[in-house]
Amino acid sequence: MRFLLIFFLIIPGVISPLPICAQSVNVTDLLGRHMAIPQDPGRVVSLAPNITEIVYALGQAHRLVGVTTYSDYPKAAASLPKVGSYVHLDLERIVSLAPDLCLAIKDGNPIAAVSRLESLGIPVYAVDPRDLESVMDTMSRIGGIFQAHKEAEQLVQGMRRRIQAVENRVAKADHQPALFFQIGVSPIVSAGTGTFIHELIVRAGARNLAEGSVSYPRFSREQVLGMMPDIIIVSSMARSEVFENIKADWYQWTNLPAVKNDRIYFQDSSLFNRPSPRCVDALEILARLIHPEMFEDGS
Amino acid sequence: MSGDHSHIVKRLSTVSGLLLMVLVVVMLMGVSIGSSGSGVTSLWYIVVNQDQADPMLLTIIWKLRLPRVLLAALVGAALSLGGLVFQALLRNPLAEPYILGISGGSAIGAIIGILLGLSQFPGITLTSFAGSLMTLLLIIGISAGQSILQKNALLLSGVMVNAFCSAVIMFLVSMTHDTRLHNIIFWLMGDLSLGSLQHTGILAIALIPCFAIIFWFSNTMNLMLMGKEMALSMGVNIKRATVMLLITTSLMVSACVSQCGLIGFVGLVIPHLFRLILGSDHRILLPACVLGGGAYMVVCDLLARALPQQGEMPAGVITAMIGAPLFIYLLKRSGR
Repeated sequence: MRFLLIFFLIIPGVISPLPICAQSVNVTDLLGRHMAIPQDPGRVVSLAPNITEIVYALGQAHRLVGVTTYSDYPKAAASLPKVGSYVHLDLERIVSLAPDLCLAIKDGNPIAAVSRLESLGIPVYAVDPRDLESVMDTMSRIGGIFQAHKEAEQLVQGMRRRIQAVENRVAKADHQPALFFQIGVSPIVSAGTGTFIHELIVRAGARNLAEGSVSYPRFSREQVLGMMPDIIIVSSMARSEVFENIKADWYQWTNLPAVKNDRIYFQDSSLFNRPSPRCVDALEILARLIHPEMFEDGS
Repeated sequence: MSGDHSHIVKRLSTVSGLLLMVLVVVMLMGVSIGSSGSGVTSLWYIVVNQDQADPMLLTIIWKLRLPRVLLAALVGAALSLGGLVFQALLRNPLAEPYILGISGGSAIGAIIGILLGLSQFPGITLTSFAGSLMTLLLIIGISAGQSILQKNALLLSGVMVNAFCSAVIMFLVSMTHDTRLHNIIFWLMGDLSLGSLQHTGILAIALIPCFAIIFWFSNTMNLMLMGKEMALSMGVNIKRATVMLLITTSLMVSACVSQCGLIGFVGLVIPHLFRLILGSDHRILLPACVLGGGAYMVVCDLLARALPQQGEMPAGVITAMIGAPLFIYLLKRSGR
């Protein structure tokens, strides 16, 4: 009992102190739903790629029995049984894996599928990792569920240190280059204010040319040219051959600052479109691309 | 007359009996095949040894596959019946709720209902019904005054209404970044994957009275097919029958659309197949369409689940791949 008490003091808010029996605990997830989940879940299905990454980062991969189709990081995750994509879950596969807990994301997993799983007696705990802060919060919460608070705490502290280090360096920069973050090829899509990508761009010390209330605005090529981006970052699921084409396309416009200074870069989309523990890697990569002069000391 | 009657009853029971058997067989297949493994024998084992069976497998069969198969059967029945009624009323063998844009209209209604945050039943079903009635009125309005001979006018206006509906749907989807619409692509091509026993039950409660109403009018539809004068002389209230049937069919189609999205061409394939085999007596065609349409949809859904190596495809992909070529063939033949 004392153990339980300590347990609840360490992670307040994650688990409400009303265990039904020794095996299960009552929790409230980020959708505000109360539920009983196993105290030590051993068969967990992750319903989104970034949740899979979080579980791996916490060193709790042994609990996973299923992941979604595009859970490709770390490599080991790709060999776990697949339960459909996060927007179109294969309920039968999930049930056949006999999970004692599913981890869902608030925006993405259809609520109808989540309630179906619950009606079949499988608890679904929803989290909402959408930016750096909430990724860290999610890691603490999932760490709490898996009784891995120490690991979670260490990871989160490490992430905070790295974010702080980037921000300290970037703060010394005297200018904020105009950055265009290109997600799609046709149409050209970028990320507006309120997105994870916007947060990374701003924290890395650049100005997001696509800022505005639309989350994922479309742009014509003329519009992009008119904004005169200093840096263009292309992030695509497709591999680098496609990037070479896109790059060649932009290089026709020799008066574009990004072209003049040869600052068009390709980045793996999984780093930037899924708020995962690797978001700090993404931030560091971006900061080095945007302010290379601030990282010249080799660290 | 009584000889004719007993003949009909005999034919009706033969056709219904045979099709019922087909339906039961495909439903058994539907229940025994799935992404977690399949086998008719294991299903039999489970049914016989309920208490020894793996509870997980029981959940999969009773709570996931069975509701889905029942939903597919109901939707297939309703859509086939819808096609048959439209073909009789509009006296056009190519009329079908999906082709005429009625399904598209109810999809618009359903999406508006989803965006307004209404509940599945009755909220979204009602907005979807309103959408289908609007498109129905629009199509009848456009093609009114055209002579029966120009039956392509009706089809063309249907195609255009359909194009307009698709545009409105894409407009609504592009304008909102609502997470409730994440699944929309699947829903637009027909998605039966989330059918629960409760939803299927509600749909059955909505659909079965509609089936009864349409059955009630089966002889009227026969008479109406013989022409206006003939029907009038036989004491048919054409206006009342038409209005009743159109409203009932729209309700049926919109209940299906709001539940499983847009599934096209079922109402074309099944009535045509049975007219070819059974002739044009609606007293026989109606039950045949209900049973055969149900079986057809169960098979299409089964293919949609079983064909992809991973995950599944929308059931509407299969129905359209079968239905659209048939439509073209029928159009070419009717032009001769």
